[in-house]
Amino acid sequence: MQNMQTYTVNDFTIYPLSEYAVTLEFSHEINADILQLISKFNTLLHRKPFDGFCTTVPAYATLSVFFDPLEVIQSPHLRGINCFERISSYLSRLEDEEKNQIITENGTMTIPICYGGKFGPDLDEVARLHGMTANEVIHLHSTAIYHVYLIGFTPGFAYLGGMPGQLATPRKSFPRSVVPAGSVGIAGKQTGIYSLDTPGGWQIIGRTPLHLFNPNRAQPALLKAGDKVVFKAMEYDRFEHYNGSKDADTYH
Amino acid sequence: MQIRIIKPGLLSTMQDTGRWNYLSQGMPISGAMDTLSSRIANLAVGNNAHDVVIEFTYGEAEFQAETDILLAYSGDGATLRVNSLPLPPDRPLFIPSGTNIHLANNPLGSRTYLAIAGGWDVAEVLGSKSTYVTAGIGGYKGRALEPDDLLNACGQLNETSARILQSLKGTTIKHSKWGIARWLFLPKYRKTVHVIPAHEFTWFAGKSVVDFLSTPYTVSIQSNRMGYRLEGPSIHRFVKQELLSTAVVPGTIQVTGDGSIVLLMADCQTTGGYPRIAQVAAVDIPLCAQLKPGDAVNFKEISRTDAEKLYIHQENQLDRLAIALKTDMLTVFR
Repeated sequence: MQNMQTYTVNDFTIYPLSEYAVTLEFSHEINADILQLISKFNTLLHRKPFDGFCTTVPAYATLSVFFDPLEVIQSPHLRGINCFERISSYLSRLEDEEKNQIITENGTMTIPICYGGKFGPDLDEVARLHGMTANEVIHLHSTAIYHVYLIGFTPGFAYLGGMPGQLATPRKSFPRSVVPAGSVGIAGKQTGIYSLDTPGGWQIIGRTPLHLFNPNRAQPALLKAGDKVVFKAMEYDRFEHYNGSKDADTYH
Repeated sequence: MQIRIIKPGLLSTMQDTGRWNYLSQGMPISGAMDTLSSRIANLAVGNNAHDVVIEFTYGEAEFQAETDILLAYSGDGATLRVNSLPLPPDRPLFIPSGTNIHLANNPLGSRTYLAIAGGWDVAEVLGSKSTYVTAGIGGYKGRALEPDDLLNACGQLNETSARILQSLKGTTIKHSKWGIARWLFLPKYRKTVHVIPAHEFTWFAGKSVVDFLSTPYTVSIQSNRMGYRLEGPSIHRFVKQELLSTAVVPGTIQVTGDGSIVLLMADCQTTGGYPRIAQVAAVDIPLCAQLKPGDAVNFKEISRTDAEKLYIHQENQLDRLAIALKTDMLTVFR
Protein backbone atom coordinates (compact mmCIF):
# COMPACT_ATOMS: atom_id res chain seq x y z
CA MET A 1 0.00 0.00 0.00
CA GLN A 2 1.68 3.19 -1.17
CA ASN A 3 0.14 5.25 1.60
CA MET A 4 1.69 3.29 4.38
CA GLN A 5 4.83 5.30 4.06
CA THR A 6 7.54 4.76 6.65
CA TYR A 7 11.18 5.75 6.87
CA THR A 8 13.61 3.64 8.84
CA VAL A 9 16.89 4.72 10.39
CA ASN A 10 18.98 2.97 13.05
CA ASP A 11 17.11 3.70 16.25
CA PHE A 12 13.62 4.38 14.97
CA THR A 13 11.05 4.15 12.20
CA ILE A 14 9.24 7.33 11.21
CA TYR A 15 5.60 7.25 10.17
CA PRO A 16 3.19 10.11 9.41
CA LEU A 17 0.61 10.94 12.09
CA SER A 18 -1.15 13.78 10.27
CA GLU A 19 -0.32 16.65 7.91
CA TYR A 20 1.38 18.42 10.81
CA ALA A 21 2.98 15.60 12.80
CA VAL A 22 5.17 12.51 12.42
CA THR A 23 5.83 9.75 14.93
CA LEU A 24 9.22 8.20 15.62
CA GLU A 25 8.76 4.62 16.78
CA PHE A 26 11.73 3.42 18.83
CA SER A 27 10.36 0.10 20.04
CA HIS A 28 7.26 -1.98 20.66
CA GLU A 29 7.92 -2.48 24.34
CA ILE A 30 8.34 -0.54 27.54
CA ASN A 31 11.79 -0.40 29.07
CA ALA A 32 14.09 2.10 30.72
CA ASP A 33 16.71 2.03 27.92
CA ILE A 34 14.15 2.99 25.29
CA LEU A 35 12.84 5.70 27.57
CA GLN A 36 16.32 7.13 27.88
CA LEU A 37 16.89 6.98 24.13
CA ILE A 38 13.63 8.89 23.51
CA SER A 39 14.41 11.41 26.19
CA LYS A 40 17.89 11.99 24.76
CA PHE A 41 16.65 12.43 21.22
CA ASN A 42 13.90 14.76 22.42
CA THR A 43 16.44 16.98 24.17
CA LEU A 44 18.64 17.02 21.09
CA LEU A 45 15.72 17.97 18.83
CA HIS A 46 14.72 20.84 21.11
CA ARG A 47 18.30 22.06 21.04
CA LYS A 48 18.52 21.73 17.27
CA PRO A 49 15.03 22.29 15.89
CA PHE A 50 14.27 22.40 12.16
CA ASP A 51 12.42 25.28 10.46
CA GLY A 52 8.75 25.01 11.41
CA PHE A 53 9.31 22.74 14.43
CA CYS A 54 6.55 23.22 17.04
CA THR A 55 6.61 20.67 19.83
CA THR A 56 6.96 16.98 20.70
CA VAL A 57 4.93 14.38 22.56
CA PRO A 58 7.02 11.61 24.13
CA ALA A 59 5.20 8.36 24.92
CA TYR A 60 6.23 4.83 26.05
CA ALA A 61 8.08 3.86 22.89
CA THR A 62 7.48 6.78 20.53
CA LEU A 63 8.27 10.44 20.12
CA SER A 64 5.81 12.44 18.02
CA VAL A 65 7.06 15.62 16.40
CA PHE A 66 4.69 18.48 15.55
CA PHE A 67 5.45 21.14 12.95
CA ASP A 68 3.97 23.85 10.75
CA PRO A 69 3.68 22.34 7.24
CA LEU A 70 3.87 25.75 5.54
CA GLU A 71 7.19 26.61 7.17
CA VAL A 72 8.58 23.15 6.52
CA ILE A 73 7.69 23.16 2.84
CA GLN A 74 9.07 26.69 2.34
CA SER A 75 12.31 26.12 4.26
CA PRO A 76 15.47 26.41 2.14
CA HIS A 77 17.29 24.21 4.70
CA LEU A 78 15.15 21.10 4.36
CA ARG A 79 15.31 18.73 1.40
CA GLY A 80 12.51 16.63 -0.02
CA ILE A 81 9.37 16.93 -2.10
CA ASN A 82 6.94 16.89 0.83
CA CYS A 83 6.92 17.55 4.56
CA PHE A 84 7.31 13.89 5.50
CA GLU A 85 10.47 13.50 3.40
CA ARG A 86 11.90 16.81 4.54
CA ILE A 87 11.44 16.04 8.22
CA SER A 88 12.46 12.39 7.95
CA SER A 89 15.75 13.27 6.33
CA TYR A 90 16.41 15.99 8.93
CA LEU A 91 15.66 13.65 11.83
CA SER A 92 17.82 10.86 10.47
CA ARG A 93 20.77 13.26 10.09
CA LEU A 94 20.15 14.40 13.65
CA GLU A 95 20.20 10.81 14.79
CA ASP A 96 23.75 10.41 13.49
CA GLU A 97 24.82 13.33 15.67
CA GLU A 98 23.03 11.81 18.62
CA LYS A 99 25.61 9.02 18.76
CA ASN A 100 28.12 11.55 20.05
CA GLN A 101 25.90 13.04 22.73
CA ILE A 102 26.68 12.76 26.40
CA ILE A 103 23.88 11.24 28.41
CA THR A 104 22.58 13.58 31.06
CA GLU A 105 20.61 12.00 33.88
CA ASN A 106 17.37 13.66 34.84
CA GLY A 107 17.06 14.56 38.53
CA THR A 108 15.02 12.55 41.00
CA MET A 109 11.73 13.91 42.27
CA THR A 110 10.47 12.80 45.67
CA ILE A 111 6.71 12.64 45.91
CA PRO A 112 5.13 12.38 49.36
CA ILE A 113 2.11 10.11 49.56
CA CYS A 114 -0.39 9.62 52.32
CA TYR A 115 -1.24 5.91 51.91
CA GLY A 116 -4.55 4.26 52.83
CA GLY A 117 -7.51 5.61 54.78
CA LYS A 118 -9.75 8.04 52.96
CA PHE A 119 -6.92 8.88 50.57
CA GLY A 120 -6.32 5.28 49.53
CA PRO A 121 -9.67 3.48 49.62
CA ASP A 122 -8.34 0.48 47.66
CA LEU A 123 -5.17 -0.13 49.69
CA ASP A 124 -6.71 -2.94 51.76
CA GLU A 125 -8.23 -4.53 48.67
CA VAL A 126 -4.86 -4.51 46.87
CA ALA A 127 -3.16 -6.00 49.96
CA ARG A 128 -5.81 -8.71 50.23
CA LEU A 129 -5.49 -9.63 46.52
CA HIS A 130 -1.76 -10.21 46.96
CA GLY A 131 -1.96 -11.83 50.39
CA MET A 132 0.03 -9.01 51.97
CA THR A 133 -0.57 -6.57 54.76
CA ALA A 134 -1.27 -2.92 53.90
CA ASN A 135 2.15 -2.00 55.32
CA GLU A 136 3.88 -4.47 53.03
CA VAL A 137 2.15 -2.87 50.02
CA ILE A 138 3.23 0.60 51.22
CA HIS A 139 6.77 -0.59 51.79
CA LEU A 140 7.06 -2.13 48.32
CA HIS A 141 5.43 0.83 46.63
CA SER A 142 7.55 3.45 48.39
CA THR A 143 10.97 1.80 48.04
CA ALA A 144 10.99 1.33 44.26
CA ILE A 145 12.50 3.80 41.79
CA TYR A 146 10.13 4.87 39.04
CA HIS A 147 10.43 6.53 35.68
CA VAL A 148 7.81 8.79 34.13
CA TYR A 149 6.93 7.05 30.88
CA LEU A 150 4.16 9.27 29.72
CA ILE A 151 2.20 12.39 30.60
CA GLY A 152 -1.30 12.02 29.20
CA PHE A 153 -4.93 11.05 29.79
CA THR A 154 -5.50 14.45 31.39
CA PRO A 155 -3.08 17.40 31.66
CA GLY A 156 -0.26 16.41 34.00
CA PHE A 157 -1.41 12.80 34.60
CA ALA A 158 1.80 10.78 35.08
CA TYR A 159 2.15 7.14 34.04
CA LEU A 160 5.06 5.59 35.94
CA GLY A 161 6.98 2.42 35.13
CA GLY A 162 9.14 0.52 37.60
CA MET A 163 6.56 -0.70 40.12
CA PRO A 164 7.50 -4.03 41.77
CA GLY A 165 5.77 -6.86 39.85
CA GLN A 166 4.19 -8.23 43.06
CA LEU A 167 1.93 -5.16 43.17
CA ALA A 168 0.45 -5.56 39.67
CA THR A 169 -3.32 -5.35 40.09
CA PRO A 170 -6.11 -5.23 37.50
CA ARG A 171 -8.22 -2.09 37.19
CA LYS A 172 -11.48 -1.91 39.13
CA SER A 173 -14.44 -3.55 37.35
CA PHE A 174 -16.46 -0.38 37.82
CA PRO A 175 -14.65 2.93 37.44
CA ARG A 176 -15.34 5.62 40.01
CA SER A 177 -17.14 8.66 38.69
CA VAL A 178 -14.70 10.97 40.47
CA VAL A 179 -11.12 10.23 41.50
CA PRO A 180 -9.66 13.27 43.31
CA ALA A 181 -6.56 15.00 41.93
CA GLY A 182 -3.35 13.70 43.52
CA SER A 183 -4.69 10.14 43.89
CA VAL A 184 -2.05 7.47 43.35
CA GLY A 185 -3.35 4.40 41.60
CA ILE A 186 -2.34 1.03 40.24
CA ALA A 187 -3.52 -0.38 36.93
CA GLY A 188 -1.87 -3.61 35.79
CA LYS A 189 1.92 -3.15 36.01
CA GLN A 190 1.75 0.62 36.07
CA THR A 191 1.32 3.12 38.80
CA GLY A 192 0.11 6.63 38.11
CA ILE A 193 -0.99 9.89 39.68
CA TYR A 194 -4.26 11.62 38.81
CA SER A 195 -3.79 15.30 37.99
CA LEU A 196 -7.41 16.50 37.95
CA ASP A 197 -10.65 15.31 39.52
CA THR A 198 -11.78 12.89 36.80
CA PRO A 199 -13.54 9.56 36.46
CA GLY A 200 -11.12 6.65 36.73
CA GLY A 201 -10.80 2.91 37.20
CA TRP A 202 -7.37 2.57 38.82
CA GLN A 203 -6.95 1.00 42.28
CA ILE A 204 -6.37 4.01 44.52
CA ILE A 205 -3.86 3.36 47.32
CA GLY A 206 -2.95 6.88 48.43
CA ARG A 207 -2.81 10.54 47.61
CA THR A 208 -0.14 13.21 47.28
CA PRO A 209 -0.80 16.83 48.29
CA LEU A 210 1.41 18.00 45.40
CA HIS A 211 -0.32 19.56 42.42
CA LEU A 212 0.49 17.42 39.42
CA PHE A 213 -1.05 20.11 37.28
CA ASN A 214 -1.28 23.83 37.88
CA PRO A 215 -1.87 26.15 34.92
CA ASN A 216 -0.33 29.07 36.85
CA ARG A 217 3.12 27.48 37.00
CA ALA A 218 5.64 28.11 34.22
CA GLN A 219 5.63 24.33 33.69
CA PRO A 220 2.01 23.38 34.45
CA ALA A 221 2.81 19.66 34.66
CA LEU A 222 4.90 18.74 37.75
CA LEU A 223 6.56 15.80 35.98
CA LYS A 224 7.80 15.19 32.48
CA ALA A 225 8.54 12.04 30.53
CA GLY A 226 11.95 10.67 31.51
CA ASP A 227 11.92 12.01 35.10
CA LYS A 228 12.98 9.67 37.89
CA VAL A 229 10.52 9.49 40.78
CA VAL A 230 10.55 8.03 44.29
CA PHE A 231 7.61 7.96 46.69
CA LYS A 232 7.86 8.73 50.39
CA ALA A 233 5.09 7.76 52.80
CA MET A 234 3.80 10.74 54.75
CA GLU A 235 1.57 11.12 57.79
CA TYR A 236 -1.99 12.31 57.55
CA ASP A 237 -1.19 15.53 59.51
CA ARG A 238 1.64 16.42 57.18
CA PHE A 239 -0.70 15.99 54.22
CA GLU A 240 -3.07 18.58 55.65
CA HIS A 241 -0.09 20.92 56.10
CA TYR A 242 0.92 20.67 52.46
CA ASN A 243 -2.57 20.66 51.08
CA GLY A 244 -3.48 24.13 49.93
CA SER A 245 -0.10 25.60 50.91
CA LYS A 246 2.28 26.94 48.35
CA ASP A 247 4.59 24.04 49.14
CA ALA A 248 2.24 21.91 47.08
CA ASP A 249 3.70 23.58 44.01
CA THR A 250 7.33 23.86 44.99
CA TYR A 251 8.13 20.73 47.02
CA HIS A 252 10.93 18.69 45.47
CA MET B 1 -17.93 46.90 22.11
CA GLN B 2 -19.80 44.62 24.45
CA ILE B 3 -22.45 41.92 24.34
CA ARG B 4 -24.47 40.26 27.07
CA ILE B 5 -25.36 36.59 26.84
CA ILE B 6 -29.09 36.09 27.38
CA LYS B 7 -29.29 32.38 26.51
CA PRO B 8 -26.03 30.47 25.96
CA GLY B 9 -27.58 27.52 24.11
CA LEU B 10 -26.37 23.93 24.54
CA LEU B 11 -22.64 24.67 24.87
CA SER B 12 -20.96 27.97 24.11
CA THR B 13 -17.26 28.38 24.73
CA MET B 14 -14.56 30.78 23.61
CA GLN B 15 -12.03 29.16 21.29
CA ASP B 16 -9.09 30.22 19.16
CA THR B 17 -7.12 27.89 16.89
CA GLY B 18 -5.68 25.87 19.74
CA ARG B 19 -3.16 25.44 22.53
CA TRP B 20 -0.26 23.69 20.84
CA ASN B 21 2.69 24.05 23.17
CA TYR B 22 1.70 21.90 26.13
CA LEU B 23 0.85 18.63 24.39
CA SER B 24 3.77 16.89 26.09
CA GLN B 25 2.20 17.81 29.44
CA GLY B 26 -1.06 16.14 28.45
CA MET B 27 -2.84 19.36 27.59
CA PRO B 28 -5.26 18.85 24.67
CA ILE B 29 -5.10 21.15 21.65
CA SER B 30 -8.72 22.36 22.10
CA GLY B 31 -9.60 25.39 19.94
CA ALA B 32 -12.49 25.75 17.53
CA MET B 33 -13.82 22.42 16.25
CA ASP B 34 -14.28 24.04 12.82
CA THR B 35 -11.23 26.27 12.40
CA LEU B 36 -12.22 27.11 8.83
CA SER B 37 -15.40 28.87 9.99
CA SER B 38 -13.73 30.45 13.03
CA ARG B 39 -11.02 31.90 10.80
CA ILE B 40 -13.49 33.16 8.20
CA ALA B 41 -15.56 34.90 10.89
CA ASN B 42 -12.41 36.63 12.15
CA LEU B 43 -11.20 37.64 8.69
CA ALA B 44 -14.60 39.11 7.86
CA VAL B 45 -14.24 41.72 10.65
CA GLY B 46 -10.58 42.38 9.84
CA ASN B 47 -9.15 40.38 12.77
CA ASN B 48 -6.21 38.02 12.77
CA ALA B 49 -7.58 34.67 11.55
CA HIS B 50 -6.36 32.88 14.69
CA ASP B 51 -8.14 35.21 17.12
CA VAL B 52 -10.58 33.89 19.72
CA VAL B 53 -14.27 33.50 18.79
CA ILE B 54 -17.40 32.22 20.52
CA GLU B 55 -18.30 28.67 19.48
CA PHE B 56 -22.05 28.08 19.73
CA THR B 57 -23.44 24.55 19.54
CA TYR B 58 -26.74 24.50 17.57
CA GLY B 59 -29.13 27.41 17.93
CA GLU B 60 -31.48 28.40 20.75
CA ALA B 61 -29.00 30.96 21.98
CA GLU B 62 -29.48 34.71 22.33
CA PHE B 63 -27.38 37.75 23.11
CA GLN B 64 -27.77 41.50 23.24
CA ALA B 65 -25.56 44.24 21.86
CA GLU B 66 -24.77 46.44 24.87
CA THR B 67 -22.97 48.93 22.61
CA ASP B 68 -22.72 49.41 18.85
CA ILE B 69 -20.87 46.34 17.59
CA LEU B 70 -19.17 45.07 14.45
CA LEU B 71 -19.30 41.30 14.22
CA ALA B 72 -19.33 38.40 11.78
CA TYR B 73 -20.46 34.82 12.08
CA SER B 74 -19.70 31.68 10.17
CA GLY B 75 -20.50 27.97 10.44
CA ASP B 76 -23.61 25.87 9.96
CA GLY B 77 -25.10 25.45 13.43
CA ALA B 78 -27.41 28.44 13.37
CA THR B 79 -28.60 31.52 11.53
CA LEU B 80 -28.39 34.82 13.37
CA ARG B 81 -31.69 36.67 13.42
CA VAL B 82 -32.92 40.01 14.64
CA ASN B 83 -36.66 39.62 15.19
CA SER B 84 -37.40 37.42 12.18
CA LEU B 85 -34.84 39.03 9.91
CA PRO B 86 -31.97 36.66 9.08
CA LEU B 87 -28.49 38.18 9.07
CA PRO B 88 -26.11 36.95 6.34
CA PRO B 89 -23.06 34.90 7.44
CA ASP B 90 -19.39 35.22 6.41
CA ARG B 91 -19.38 39.03 6.24
CA PRO B 92 -19.15 42.00 8.62
CA LEU B 93 -22.38 43.11 10.30
CA PHE B 94 -22.88 46.43 12.05
CA ILE B 95 -25.41 46.12 14.86
CA PRO B 96 -26.56 49.11 16.91
CA SER B 97 -26.61 49.13 20.69
CA GLY B 98 -29.67 47.53 22.30
CA THR B 99 -30.33 45.01 19.50
CA ASN B 100 -31.31 41.48 20.50
CA ILE B 101 -29.79 38.73 18.36
CA HIS B 102 -31.18 35.23 18.32
CA LEU B 103 -29.50 32.09 16.98
CA ALA B 104 -32.05 29.98 15.08
CA ASN B 105 -31.19 26.32 14.49
CA ASN B 106 -29.73 25.54 11.09
CA PRO B 107 -30.43 21.91 10.14
CA LEU B 108 -27.29 21.86 7.99
CA GLY B 109 -24.74 21.65 10.80
CA SER B 110 -24.00 22.06 14.46
CA ARG B 111 -21.46 24.80 15.22
CA THR B 112 -21.45 28.55 14.67
CA TYR B 113 -18.62 31.01 15.31
CA LEU B 114 -18.98 34.62 16.36
CA ALA B 115 -16.12 37.07 15.90
CA ILE B 116 -16.07 40.70 17.03
CA ALA B 117 -13.91 43.48 15.59
CA GLY B 118 -10.80 43.79 17.75
CA GLY B 119 -11.20 40.26 19.10
CA TRP B 120 -12.80 39.12 22.38
CA ASP B 121 -11.01 40.41 25.44
CA VAL B 122 -10.07 37.30 27.40
CA ALA B 123 -6.68 36.35 28.83
CA GLU B 124 -4.27 33.94 27.27
CA VAL B 125 -3.63 30.84 29.39
CA LEU B 126 -0.65 28.68 28.42
CA GLY B 127 -0.36 30.40 25.07
CA SER B 128 -4.01 30.20 24.00
CA LYS B 129 -7.38 31.76 24.73
CA SER B 130 -9.23 28.50 24.11
CA THR B 131 -11.50 27.18 26.84
CA TYR B 132 -10.71 23.70 28.13
CA VAL B 133 -13.62 23.08 30.47
CA THR B 134 -12.24 19.84 32.01
CA ALA B 135 -9.28 21.71 33.51
CA GLY B 136 -11.27 24.93 33.97
CA ILE B 137 -8.84 27.06 31.99
CA GLY B 138 -8.90 29.60 29.18
CA GLY B 139 -11.74 31.50 27.55
CA TYR B 140 -14.24 33.20 29.83
CA LYS B 141 -13.39 32.14 33.41
CA GLY B 142 -12.43 28.67 32.21
CA ARG B 143 -16.03 27.69 31.64
CA ALA B 144 -18.90 27.60 29.17
CA LEU B 145 -20.86 30.84 28.81
CA GLU B 146 -23.84 31.45 31.08
CA PRO B 147 -26.73 33.92 31.06
CA ASP B 148 -25.69 37.49 31.94
CA ASP B 149 -22.02 36.99 31.07
CA LEU B 150 -20.70 40.28 29.69
CA LEU B 151 -18.18 39.86 26.91
CA ASN B 152 -16.00 42.73 25.74
CA ALA B 153 -13.98 43.30 22.63
CA CYS B 154 -10.39 44.52 22.86
CA GLY B 155 -10.66 48.29 22.47
CA GLN B 156 -8.00 48.93 19.89
CA LEU B 157 -9.10 48.22 16.30
CA ASN B 158 -6.54 47.57 13.59
CA GLU B 159 -6.72 49.59 10.39
CA THR B 160 -8.74 47.00 8.49
CA SER B 161 -11.39 46.62 11.20
CA ALA B 162 -11.58 50.38 11.66
CA ARG B 163 -12.19 50.90 7.94
CA ILE B 164 -14.87 48.18 7.82
CA LEU B 165 -16.55 49.76 10.84
CA GLN B 166 -16.38 53.20 9.28
CA SER B 167 -18.11 51.97 6.12
CA LEU B 168 -21.04 50.30 7.95
CA LYS B 169 -21.52 52.45 11.05
CA GLY B 170 -24.92 54.11 11.51
CA THR B 171 -28.15 53.78 13.46
CA THR B 172 -29.46 50.63 11.77
CA ILE B 173 -28.23 47.10 11.09
CA LYS B 174 -26.01 47.09 8.06
CA HIS B 175 -23.85 44.48 6.37
CA SER B 176 -21.27 44.60 3.62
CA LYS B 177 -22.22 43.74 0.07
CA TRP B 178 -19.25 41.40 -0.12
CA GLY B 179 -18.95 38.15 1.77
CA ILE B 180 -16.37 35.40 2.01
CA ALA B 181 -17.27 32.39 -0.15
CA ARG B 182 -16.81 29.71 2.47
CA TRP B 183 -18.28 27.00 0.24
CA LEU B 184 -15.33 27.45 -2.11
CA PHE B 185 -13.14 26.06 0.67
CA LEU B 186 -15.52 23.33 1.72
CA PRO B 187 -18.58 22.52 -0.40
CA LYS B 188 -21.88 22.60 1.45
CA TYR B 189 -23.77 19.30 1.79
CA ARG B 190 -20.66 17.16 1.24
CA LYS B 191 -20.80 14.17 3.55
CA THR B 192 -17.72 12.37 2.27
CA VAL B 193 -14.73 12.64 4.57
CA HIS B 194 -11.26 12.00 3.17
CA VAL B 195 -9.03 9.77 5.26
CA ILE B 196 -5.41 8.67 5.15
CA PRO B 197 -4.69 5.07 6.25
CA ALA B 198 -3.19 5.24 9.74
CA HIS B 199 -0.21 3.33 11.12
CA GLU B 200 -2.22 0.28 12.27
CA PHE B 201 -4.34 0.18 9.09
CA THR B 202 -2.95 -3.25 8.17
CA TRP B 203 -3.95 -4.71 11.54
CA PHE B 204 -7.57 -4.90 10.43
CA ALA B 205 -9.37 -7.64 8.48
CA GLY B 206 -9.81 -7.04 4.75
CA LYS B 207 -13.59 -7.13 4.97
CA SER B 208 -13.55 -4.57 7.77
CA VAL B 209 -11.37 -2.24 5.74
CA VAL B 210 -13.80 -2.56 2.82
CA ASP B 211 -16.73 -1.90 5.16
CA PHE B 212 -14.96 1.13 6.60
CA LEU B 213 -14.35 2.66 3.19
CA SER B 214 -17.67 1.80 1.57
CA THR B 215 -20.42 1.83 4.21
CA PRO B 216 -21.82 4.99 5.77
CA TYR B 217 -21.17 5.46 9.49
CA THR B 218 -23.61 7.36 11.68
CA VAL B 219 -22.62 9.85 14.36
CA SER B 220 -24.00 8.58 17.67
CA ILE B 221 -25.47 10.61 20.49
CA GLN B 222 -22.27 9.88 22.48
CA SER B 223 -20.41 12.66 20.75
CA ASN B 224 -18.84 15.83 22.11
CA ARG B 225 -15.81 18.08 21.71
CA MET B 226 -13.52 15.19 22.70
CA GLY B 227 -14.74 12.87 19.99
CA TYR B 228 -17.57 11.12 18.21
CA ARG B 229 -18.60 7.53 18.54
CA LEU B 230 -19.59 6.30 15.07
CA GLU B 231 -22.13 3.56 14.44
CA GLY B 232 -21.78 1.16 11.53
CA PRO B 233 -20.27 -2.22 10.67
CA SER B 234 -17.93 -3.25 13.46
CA ILE B 235 -14.24 -3.46 12.64
CA HIS B 236 -12.33 -6.69 13.25
CA ARG B 237 -8.60 -6.93 13.65
CA PHE B 238 -6.41 -9.94 13.10
CA VAL B 239 -3.32 -8.48 14.73
CA LYS B 240 -4.07 -8.95 18.40
CA GLN B 241 -0.91 -7.18 19.60
CA GLU B 242 -1.46 -4.48 22.21
CA LEU B 243 -0.59 -0.97 21.16
CA LEU B 244 1.41 1.09 23.63
CA SER B 245 -0.17 4.50 24.18
CA THR B 246 1.21 6.97 21.69
CA ALA B 247 0.33 10.45 20.44
CA VAL B 248 -3.06 10.93 18.79
CA VAL B 249 -4.51 14.11 17.30
CA PRO B 250 -7.92 15.47 16.30
CA GLY B 251 -9.04 13.47 13.26
CA THR B 252 -7.51 10.21 14.46
CA ILE B 253 -9.98 7.34 14.01
CA GLN B 254 -9.50 4.68 16.69
CA VAL B 255 -11.03 1.22 16.88
CA THR B 256 -11.96 0.31 20.43
CA GLY B 257 -11.91 -3.16 21.99
CA ASP B 258 -15.45 -4.02 20.90
CA GLY B 259 -14.75 -3.09 17.25
CA SER B 260 -16.52 0.25 17.29
CA ILE B 261 -15.10 3.44 15.88
CA VAL B 262 -14.22 6.67 17.65
CA LEU B 263 -13.29 9.83 15.76
CA LEU B 264 -11.19 12.10 17.97
CA MET B 265 -11.93 15.83 17.93
CA ALA B 266 -10.53 19.10 19.32
CA ASP B 267 -10.51 18.30 23.08
CA CYS B 268 -9.15 14.75 22.62
CA GLN B 269 -6.51 13.26 24.90
CA THR B 270 -2.95 13.74 23.73
CA THR B 271 -2.18 10.01 23.73
CA GLY B 272 -4.22 6.90 23.09
CA GLY B 273 -3.75 3.16 23.13
CA TYR B 274 -6.37 1.96 20.65
CA PRO B 275 -5.20 0.93 17.18
CA ARG B 276 -5.86 3.56 14.56
CA ILE B 277 -7.45 2.70 11.25
CA ALA B 278 -7.30 6.12 9.62
CA GLN B 279 -6.58 9.82 10.01
CA VAL B 280 -9.05 12.38 8.66
CA ALA B 281 -7.43 14.78 6.19
CA ALA B 282 -6.89 18.06 8.08
CA VAL B 283 -8.89 20.03 5.49
CA ASP B 284 -11.95 17.83 6.20
CA ILE B 285 -11.94 18.26 10.00
CA PRO B 286 -14.25 21.32 9.71
CA LEU B 287 -16.73 19.11 7.88
CA CYS B 288 -16.61 16.62 10.78
CA ALA B 289 -17.03 19.51 13.23
CA GLN B 290 -20.38 20.34 11.63
CA LEU B 291 -21.74 16.76 11.93
CA LYS B 292 -24.44 16.08 14.47
CA PRO B 293 -25.85 12.89 15.99
CA GLY B 294 -27.75 10.96 13.33
CA ASP B 295 -25.71 12.29 10.40
CA ALA B 296 -24.14 9.67 8.14
CA VAL B 297 -20.66 10.02 6.66
CA ASN B 298 -18.70 8.06 4.09
CA PHE B 299 -14.95 7.69 4.35
CA LYS B 300 -12.90 7.89 1.20
CA GLU B 301 -9.20 7.12 0.98
CA ILE B 302 -6.76 9.82 -0.07
CA SER B 303 -2.96 9.65 -0.16
CA ARG B 304 -0.98 11.42 2.53
CA THR B 305 0.78 13.45 -0.15
CA ASP B 306 -2.53 14.66 -1.62
CA ALA B 307 -3.86 15.50 1.85
CA GLU B 308 -0.75 17.57 2.49
CA LYS B 309 -1.16 19.38 -0.85
CA LEU B 310 -4.80 20.19 -0.06
CA TYR B 311 -3.78 21.48 3.37
CA ILE B 312 -1.01 23.70 2.05
CA HIS B 313 -3.25 24.98 -0.74
CA GLN B 314 -6.00 25.90 1.75
CA GLU B 315 -3.60 27.64 4.13
CA ASN B 316 -2.20 29.65 1.24
CA GLN B 317 -5.70 30.60 0.09
CA LEU B 318 -6.62 31.79 3.59
CA ASP B 319 -3.41 33.82 3.80
CA ARG B 320 -4.20 35.41 0.44
CA LEU B 321 -7.73 36.15 1.57
CA ALA B 322 -6.36 37.94 4.64
CA ILE B 323 -4.07 40.04 2.46
CA ALA B 324 -6.90 40.83 0.01
CA LEU B 325 -9.06 42.02 2.89
CA LYS B 326 -6.26 44.25 4.14
CA THR B 327 -5.65 45.85 0.76
CA ASP B 328 -7.57 45.77 -2.53
CA MET B 329 -10.97 44.70 -1.44
CA LEU B 330 -11.51 47.54 0.98
CA THR B 331 -11.32 50.07 -1.79
CA VAL B 332 -14.10 48.43 -3.79
CA PHE B 333 -16.60 46.93 -1.41
CA ARG B 334 -18.53 50.03 -0.61
